[in-house]
Amino acid sequence: MNRNSKSLDSLISQLQERAKELNCLYTVEEVLTNNSLSIEESFQAVVDSIPHGWQYPTITQAKLELEDSIYKTKGYFGTEWRLVSQIRVQDKEVGLIKVVYTEDMPVIDEGPFLKEERKLLDTIAEKIGHFVLHQRLKAVINDFNQVKDGIRITGRGEWRIVLDMIRKTDPNLFMGILRKLLHQLTWDGVEDAEKILKNSGLSTRSEDDAELTDENKPMKKRLITNYDEYIEQILSLADEYLPDSKILEKIQKWIQEDKSSALVKVLENQDTSLSQIGDAIRKYFHLAPEKFELSPSTKKGLRVSLLRRFFTEDLHYISIAKEYVKLTDFYNLIDKMIFPLASHGKLGGKSAGLFLAAHVIKKNKGSDPIMQNIKIPKSWYVTSDGILYFMQYNNLEEVLEQKYKEIDEVRLEYPHIVQLFKNSQFPPDIVKGLSVALDDFGEVPLIVRSSSLLEDQIGAAFSGKYKSLFLANQGSKKERLSALMDAIAEVYASTFGPDPIEYRASRGLLDFHEEMGIIIQEVVGRRIGDYFLPAFAGVAFSNNEFRWSPRIKRQDGLIRLVPGLGTRAVDRLSNDYPVLIAPGQPKLRVNVTIEETIKYSPKYVDVINLITNQFETIEVPILLKNFGDIIPGIENYISKYDGNHLTRPNAFQMDFENDDFVFTFDGLINNSNFIKQANKILKMLQKQLNMPVDIEFASDGNDFYMLQCRSQSHSLHNTPDPIPKDIARDKVVFSAKKYVSNGRVPDVSHIVYIDPQGYYDLETKSEMLAVGRIIGKLNKLLPKRKFILMGPGRWGSRGDIKLGVNVTYADISNTAMLVEIAMKKGNYMPDLSFGTHFFQDLVEASIRYLPLYPDDEGIIFNDNFLRRSKNILKELIPETNDMEKLIHVIDIPSSTEGNVLKVLMNADLDEALGILRKPSESEIVFDDQEIEYEEAPQHDHWKWRYKMAETLAMQINAEKYGVKGMYIFGSTKNANAGPASDIDLLIHIDDDESTRNSLHCWLAGWSLCLSEINYLRTGYRTDGLLDIHYITDRDIKNKTSYAIKIGAVTDAARPLSMGNQ
Amino acid sequence: MISKDFNPFEMAQAQFDKVAEMLSLDEGTREILRNALREYQFSIPVHMDDGTVKVFRGFRVQHNDARGPSKGGIRFHPQETVDTVRALAMWMTWKCAVVGIPLGGGKGGVVCDPHNLSMREQEQICRGWVRQMTKNVGPLNDVPAPDVMTSAQHMLWMLDEYEAINGAKYPGFITGKPVGMGGSLGRTEATGYGVIFTVREALKELRIKPSETTASVQGFGNVAQYAIKLYNQMGGKVIAVSCWDQTDQISYTFKKESGIDLDELLKITDRFGGIDRAKAKELNYEILDGDAWIEQDVDILIPAALENQVRGDNASKISSKVKIIAEGANGPTTPEADKIIQEKGIFMIPDFLANAGGVTCSYFEQVQSNMNYFWEKDEVLSKLDVKMTSAFLAVSDLARKKKLYMRDAAYIISISRVAQACKDRGWV
Repeated sequence: MNRNSKSLDSLISQLQERAKELNCLYTVEEVLTNNSLSIEESFQAVVDSIPHGWQYPTITQAKLELEDSIYKTKGYFGTEWRLVSQIRVQDKEVGLIKVVYTEDMPVIDEGPFLKEERKLLDTIAEKIGHFVLHQRLKAVINDFNQVKDGIRITGRGEWRIVLDMIRKTDPNLFMGILRKLLHQLTWDGVEDAEKILKNSGLSTRSEDDAELTDENKPMKKRLITNYDEYIEQILSLADEYLPDSKILEKIQKWIQEDKSSALVKVLENQDTSLSQIGDAIRKYFHLAPEKFELSPSTKKGLRVSLLRRFFTEDLHYISIAKEYVKLTDFYNLIDKMIFPLASHGKLGGKSAGLFLAAHVIKKNKGSDPIMQNIKIPKSWYVTSDGILYFMQYNNLEEVLEQKYKEIDEVRLEYPHIVQLFKNSQFPPDIVKGLSVALDDFGEVPLIVRSSSLLEDQIGAAFSGKYKSLFLANQGSKKERLSALMDAIAEVYASTFGPDPIEYRASRGLLDFHEEMGIIIQEVVGRRIGDYFLPAFAGVAFSNNEFRWSPRIKRQDGLIRLVPGLGTRAVDRLSNDYPVLIAPGQPKLRVNVTIEETIKYSPKYVDVINLITNQFETIEVPILLKNFGDIIPGIENYISKYDGNHLTRPNAFQMDFENDDFVFTFDGLINNSNFIKQANKILKMLQKQLNMPVDIEFASDGNDFYMLQCRSQSHSLHNTPDPIPKDIARDKVVFSAKKYVSNGRVPDVSHIVYIDPQGYYDLETKSEMLAVGRIIGKLNKLLPKRKFILMGPGRWGSRGDIKLGVNVTYADISNTAMLVEIAMKKGNYMPDLSFGTHFFQDLVEASIRYLPLYPDDEGIIFNDNFLRRSKNILKELIPETNDMEKLIHVIDIPSSTEGNVLKVLMNADLDEALGILRKPSESEIVFDDQEIEYEEAPQHDHWKWRYKMAETLAMQINAEKYGVKGMYIFGSTKNANAGPASDIDLLIHIDDDESTRNSLHCWLAGWSLCLSEINYLRTGYRTDGLLDIHYITDRDIKNKTSYAIKIGAVTDAARPLSMGNQ
Repeated sequence: MISKDFNPFEMAQAQFDKVAEMLSLDEGTREILRNALREYQFSIPVHMDDGTVKVFRGFRVQHNDARGPSKGGIRFHPQETVDTVRALAMWMTWKCAVVGIPLGGGKGGVVCDPHNLSMREQEQICRGWVRQMTKNVGPLNDVPAPDVMTSAQHMLWMLDEYEAINGAKYPGFITGKPVGMGGSLGRTEATGYGVIFTVREALKELRIKPSETTASVQGFGNVAQYAIKLYNQMGGKVIAVSCWDQTDQISYTFKKESGIDLDELLKITDRFGGIDRAKAKELNYEILDGDAWIEQDVDILIPAALENQVRGDNASKISSKVKIIAEGANGPTTPEADKIIQEKGIFMIPDFLANAGGVTCSYFEQVQSNMNYFWEKDEVLSKLDVKMTSAFLAVSDLARKKKLYMRDAAYIISISRVAQACKDRGWV
């Protein structure tokens, strides 16, 4: 560090300079806080450490003149190349510190010195000042204690000596104490004191005061007299009315309160920057390393102010956090914060949640042995305004307006913004901070997480909208720093990504002033071969919204557990499954047969590759074959499969080369405290934070690391729907009061209802199998996630299929919801399956499950609606062999004048309601003139499609292409188009091949263009947006092909007017 | 609510009646075979994890033990009915008889859904079942086995309880045990190999050399994989195999005209017999839709996946070149398809003959357990060959002599064997 190295790379050399300076500063700080040194030794050590922080340490000398003492480095002599700082204590100059170069060096900022060196010297001077002040106060306290001890022997009046001493050393404090003493006397009912108070001290004259009525006395002189008298009056009153012990006690308390007053002032002032707050906190602790006994109200006030400045204004959060967080916690925190000099930023939602959760656990864990190994990974923070500072520094402010642009523009420009950000420079003080952070972390993998201000807004489900990036963090410091900055820039850029902006627009959060804090967290885990990964990780919810058995209660919670990085548990993946556990009922497992257990076990592991510096996904067999032997405790995570049997392996007899292993976490679940621990954590957090929580965690095999904690209702999928009470009975399709989970079901346009009685009446197995096959076909024909399946008993039955319809997951994969109806048979009530036949598939696809018990008291089951509404089964599948008596397919909008089915689920009340209502947006008016797609909100996917279809129709050359008429039908016409829907057009044409080809080309061009527009608006890529169906006169006459759509009862095609007709 | 539920037991009885008519069985024999010899229904009280007590309903049906101890699985099923159990017990009697192993038919179960039970609770159910039934089961009179939602673990609990009550070791009390705990080697291979033993005999009968044949297989699970392995060893060439794709939720057929390479495919196959489509493409397999396996121009079709796969709607697509269909799965052919196949004159090896390798191996496990001496895998498989071959020959001889469809011949053989045993014992 003290070599005079001159690297060619100027950045590196600058960084090295900064590191030297920091090092110097740390040494100084260390020396000054080292209690084992005498004062003289401390000052000498400070002086000796100075040259190392300067650019040319070998020719640098330093000298400290302090009151009567002088300390200097060995070879010090005065030269003209010097840098001097004053040392001040309570605004009085008490000394000087000088740094000199003994040789002439090139001129840089201030002579041969860098501007950073000036700052460094000033900081050192300031620190010495604090130190001197501290020493003085220490002396005062010592004297004071001696006096206090003496008083017991010497008797009354000795407190005056104490006050006298304070008066000499700290007049401000003295006046403060005096004022408080006066208040105390008044408080105690001393009349004279009240008089003095009324006269309010020095400047005003009072009628009662006879001695001061002479108007000829000069004003100034009188004031001085008044001042001494004033003091003396108060002191004698105190002497008279208060016992010595009480006065001493009070004085002591007031002195302590005064020490925190600086911090209080800083915090009360909204203009103070984070660095000022940081200084104030440091100073506060510096002045009083011994424990203070502040009054509870002062403490609480300080905590609240700090919480507000560091984390959030959210009152719910503050009201809880203030009970848990200590001032020392902020002291520790501020050392890990990176922020611009004048920062007013916060740490953001994620940091706030984790900070609070950690302290809740710390305070409540008591001596419970299973709660002792809960940790938070080492973290550094960049404050939320870092992003603004970064953008200012690079003149990127115009990007801030991005959010007000059209979403297609946003999408188009986003990759450009990412590159722009990645190619921008970070301001030097941020770089310095990050560099220190990296030194602190060392060469361990890191995750750079977003922690935005919006993320702590109740009700805003921002999970996954902003980026989190893993870094292997291997290689030279320069490489690591540049990778870290690259990652932060990318996370910053994600603020301007189309998804979050679209999401904010839809939730009315666009105008919210969004800032992006960053958490840099050490990745939990260990090195296994070339990979770095935790032993296991996952997410845990205090409310279980996916219950696979009626024995599992909502409050039993849910854990999604995976080997390796938790990314696979956080995301829902269609081809892989986490292990699910209800921590309140860990013995009731989702998968009970060997087949199920294996099928729904994790197949892949997310890891960080330390060689390629990449985040990778590897297959479980590859991980186990290559590294099974070196993964500690692996026998607790896997089971051995031998064809008929799944057993926990013996730690000494695992043959990873030949045996077949499956991740089941059997040992972890049954033989360790992990589940109990997770359950306790969830329960504790839910109780103390007063809300259901959702935590992310990881383990290196020994300790439980909490990575994130937030309200479970943050997730859009888990908010309970309000259940309206005043719904007309005929608008209700069904109601439920048992086993209801929270979960949003999209607007439902079709119901597939299998009449339970009809199903039980089927006589042959083949008829029952046929029902399953029809469901499979309907699954492909009906709009995805817009229909629900309602059937008797157990969906997915095998063998005894009269218990329920024989379907596989493939037959129901597009439904929005699976409803099982338990109709009483005689006096016995059939058990429902709770979806167990494909439970985990349902979970990963967010398909909701609801059991109905129509025979229960107070339950509405609108059999009439379900069986009497127009059944469109035959239209969809003509060859159904009379199945329409049994299988009812209801097109809800056409059967109910444009209504949809809304399924409202509220697990808090354990109630659900299926009601007929208008679609989410208010009534749809088909007034062509009024539809202006420029104004269409982003979720009205049908509107601009409709407009475009009209435009297309207006522009078509009907004569040239032989077009006789154009119609629109399907989702665009029905106003329920999704982001991936196509536009169904029906074109009535002459039966002429030659014109048809050119028409086809013309339309294909349109189709591609529309697809591109759709991509820009929604991010969905399709091969073309138009779905064209041609019909001829003959079709219309014979009502063949799509011609039936014209004038059809359901989903009739609507004519479009053509331009040159 | 009066339900016209179709009753599986009545269906099984109807099927029996049809064959009994063909055999002109006397009234007494019909009566004894139409119903179970013994039925047990009992309660199993269990102390649940939460401290409550729940009572579960248990069953055991011993349909017929004229030929030897009853044999059959124990099912855990939430809506188990005694009629289902009766039907399955009868089916076991025929199945054991057709392969000629000296066992009768039985089946049992407990009305419960393991998805709502902890492992400890399931253990209590298993032990409770044995406590109730210990006098009526055992290596010499009724031998349980795993079935729907029960596994080797359940069998070990039951065995342990049985041995504790009876104060000695009786590994032959139950089958389906893990190797090393009284299980038999060769179990994994048994069903698939059994299918090919019958195919080999059928080819002999048709005077075709296996090495000159090709086959198409539906399914790529355990049964299919071992069937292909043995068929390849005999020189046959499988040109198409279909399997379920977990990601796409539909099945595909993988075809290679020059013959699939089993080892190469196994490397890209998951535990459930799902072949990685992308990797198969790289290996130059033609990827066709799931139904394509049935349309191939091959000599042999082996449906070894699920029930109801060869139906009226696709049986007509079977190539005229096809000579043999061997049912590796249970009930892959619907009655309508059976008619078409019969008309086409295809040689059908019915499921309960073709896939009887499994039950035969269970019998071997029991035999080995009873003598507490366990064979090497080779020995198990060669004994399996002998059993399957002789079973096949008996059925095909009858079919040829009496000009019967193989499925009917198999039924006739098995029922007449059981009827004969009842007569020989002087029951009827």
